[in-house]
Amino acid sequence: MAEMEAALLEIIKNHAVGLTGPLTRETPVSDLGIDSFAVVEIIYEVEEKLHVEVPFNANENPFGEMKSVGDLIDALQKLAKPA
Amino acid sequence: MTRRVVVTGLGGVCATGANVPEFWENLKAGKCGIDKRTYSAGEGLDITLPVAPVDNFETRAAELGRDMTRADRFTQFAIAAADEAVADSGIDLASGLGARTAAIIGTGIGGQAAMDAAYIGMLRHGRRPHPLSILKTIPNAAASHVSIRYGARGPAFAISSACASGAHAIGVCAEFIRSGVADAGIAGASEAVLTFGALEAWKAMHIVSDELCRPFSKNRKGLVIGEGAGVLVLEEYEAAKARGAKIYAELVGFGMNADGKDMINPDVNGAAGAMRIALETVKIDDPSAVYINAHGTGTLMNDPTETKAIRDVFGADADKLVVSSTKSMHGHLLGAAGGIEAIASILALKNGVVPPTVNYDEPDPACDLDYAPNEAKERKIDVAISNSFAFGGLNAVLAFKRV
Repeated sequence: MAEMEAALLEIIKNHAVGLTGPLTRETPVSDLGIDSFAVVEIIYEVEEKLHVEVPFNANENPFGEMKSVGDLIDALQKLAKPA
Repeated sequence: MTRRVVVTGLGGVCATGANVPEFWENLKAGKCGIDKRTYSAGEGLDITLPVAPVDNFETRAAELGRDMTRADRFTQFAIAAADEAVADSGIDLASGLGARTAAIIGTGIGGQAAMDAAYIGMLRHGRRPHPLSILKTIPNAAASHVSIRYGARGPAFAISSACASGAHAIGVCAEFIRSGVADAGIAGASEAVLTFGALEAWKAMHIVSDELCRPFSKNRKGLVIGEGAGVLVLEEYEAAKARGAKIYAELVGFGMNADGKDMINPDVNGAAGAMRIALETVKIDDPSAVYINAHGTGTLMNDPTETKAIRDVFGADADKLVVSSTKSMHGHLLGAAGGIEAIASILALKNGVVPPTVNYDEPDPACDLDYAPNEAKERKIDVAISNSFAFGGLNAVLAFKRV
């Protein structure tokens, strides 16, 4: 689990074009400088690199409530299942 | 009062120029940008053909900003050209003009590389397509990115009419300005199809040269595929004059029609008809001061047909005017041909220099006009005409004059 969390942090960091400081679970998602489509790109990379599937429908707004990077990581870990 | 349309900015990228000044210097020097290249889609899937590629563009694309990391090469070409054209024009779209500015960028195919990558990934490597595949592929991606980048919020869309896309885009944009639908426009076209799959498909038509592109020369062996973009900034004349804009030329005529006959074989009447429509209101005092930037693909079919069409339109005056095909240097940019060739035509008109038809070494009785063979020549030009005749019989002709 800790290994996956580290991998997720690394992927998110690579997309966080607006981030100035370090990336932690507490970093607000609004500080990442990413748009809603970047979340889709992050999930694609998670699937490719970690060999998992993250089934979601963007129309159901599954990441709408997330405030911090921790929320995003938790949501991803909850959804992810082996591909 | 009739609104007039002028060209106030030029931007282009192709095999023979990373920007317009370099492109023009190479046109004058008769520099040929054709070279053999190999394109691969993985093991066992290679094709080697003479092409007119834009080298080292990746480095430049990386400097075009984050939005362009999410775009296909054809959109990156369009943005590189549009950046140059907009800066060249000095137009200020933030002042409220943005809402009245069109963004019309043609393309024959769209995001070929993005679509190829998606299929190769799926079929060869079992990978799902990247979520950006659709947004990169759609033919309107370039027009949309131009609109977003400059806040051009007037009519915006792609025009797709194969090799006439660029001329259609510029002509239609000019009509919008003339009729008052828009006051300014960023118009042109872009193409990037140098991929394994696309080149195999072109090769399957058996009209692609295995060496150089030799328009109007008896020993011509077909077309050579190029890539790149050509974009103009168009403005309503009085507004351009009022802001003190540098004016390259006036777009005095636009002719479009369709052969309505055949998907491949060009038609003399269609081509001649489009030229006639473009020249309907253009006064030609001196036929020796007419320059035609020909469609001139270097194929068996196009070149004699285009020659006959020019004779049909100009009669005896056809022996006084001068024609050249710059495709002999920058290759056939397909959808973007009309964009880059409009720039060649405008600069020929402005500078009084006819860019040559290079690789011309054997006269053809079926192609019996002055094609400015192999060397540029100084010449007073009053009217510059840019011909584009597409597969499917779609014709678009632009005519420019000095203001």
